[in-house]
Amino acid sequence: MRTMRFIVMFLVAVPLTVLAQAPGPKKAKTIDELAAMFDSARCKQCHAEIYGQWEKSHHARPLMGVADGLMLTPVVKSSAFQVKSPKDATLRTFPCFKCHLPQAAAYAEDSLAVELTQALFTASDKDAPDKDKAAARAKVAKLQITCIVCHNEMAITHKLVLGSPEKDVIYGSKDMATHGAPSEKVFTKGKKSAILNQAVFCGQCHGTGPNFEFDYPVQCATLYGSYQHNYLSKGGFQSCQECHMKKVGGIADHLFPPNWNDKASTSKMLSESISLDVQTLGYQSLRKAGALTPMIVVNTKISNTAGHRIPDG
Amino acid sequence: MVLEVTTKSVDGKEISKDERNYNPQATSCLNEKMVYGAQNKASYVRDTSLQPYESKNETFEIKLPEGVRTADVTVELNYEIHVPENKVPIHKVTRRVTLDR
Repeated sequence: MRTMRFIVMFLVAVPLTVLAQAPGPKKAKTIDELAAMFDSARCKQCHAEIYGQWEKSHHARPLMGVADGLMLTPVVKSSAFQVKSPKDATLRTFPCFKCHLPQAAAYAEDSLAVELTQALFTASDKDAPDKDKAAARAKVAKLQITCIVCHNEMAITHKLVLGSPEKDVIYGSKDMATHGAPSEKVFTKGKKSAILNQAVFCGQCHGTGPNFEFDYPVQCATLYGSYQHNYLSKGGFQSCQECHMKKVGGIADHLFPPNWNDKASTSKMLSESISLDVQTLGYQSLRKAGALTPMIVVNTKISNTAGHRIPDG
Repeated sequence: MVLEVTTKSVDGKEISKDERNYNPQATSCLNEKMVYGAQNKASYVRDTSLQPYESKNETFEIKLPEGVRTADVTVELNYEIHVPENKVPIHKVTRRVTLDR
């Protein structure tokens, strides 16, 4: 009887212990570690053109802002999320990670936030040597929305039905029994994503309204909300991808224009979506008898055919 | 997004300048002050942006100084990034307008 009780206890206790010790996802302690975990440089071997487009895109510099403005500096220095010292920073200091570095939520430790904050402090320190500032900026620039983020980590939104993204799978436009060079040991299969070519995929980050899950509301991009409520309602049917990932040489453009750092191409794109009509008249207006007033009247009409409000993000 | 209408006499002297701003405008909702930066915004309080499939119609009436019967009107539509000085030009129309027939 005592032996039996021991066996039962053993059978119950061992699985519980295993569960308690079951390792979660490996977490990065440093910027370099997280960058290495999501490094997509290997993709370049076979997808050089796409990789080249992505390298110039804002997805390749999600924390750098437009014209390398380091958009997180005001977050840590002058917002409700500010910290007195870099060592006080945690992942919760950066609500922006939700979209600007989505892999950080599951795969980074607070120490990464400390390192990032130190880099932001150094980069914005007017007294710091130029080489230290440059090194700090380079460190921030390592954190990117890489191929793996979209084609694996963010590729499945219906997890209750479709499950979580599988570790060895790249999600794209078709199923592939094998993927990658034979020597590669990662992402060895390809699966067709249910949503990658639909607006809802982009909507995960290009927003619907204030983010209330944080301890202080954060209102960033509301593009997807505008698309849903103000474009579809007026009869528009195009997806984000149809305009912002137009095929170039048969391949979807992974530059995701506009590239705000390239004013010429951005100007062209905006002028194609927004029209301006100007009508002018010169005449003498008569407010009351005998009081003619020389006047020019300018009538303007601006029309927007984009699938969302402008400006938004 | 800013629409600027500038009127100058034919010798280049500015007669008038006016503008319209098209953008969603947000506050922290803790006070009445408009703010920039996602980390500071809690909600839009006003939205003058260009909506899809919609048009913005504006009228600018410019009274000419005494003796001036002809002027050059420049209408510019620019996308401003962060600060007014950092512009992406979208459209620019310049037209000489006269009262003479």
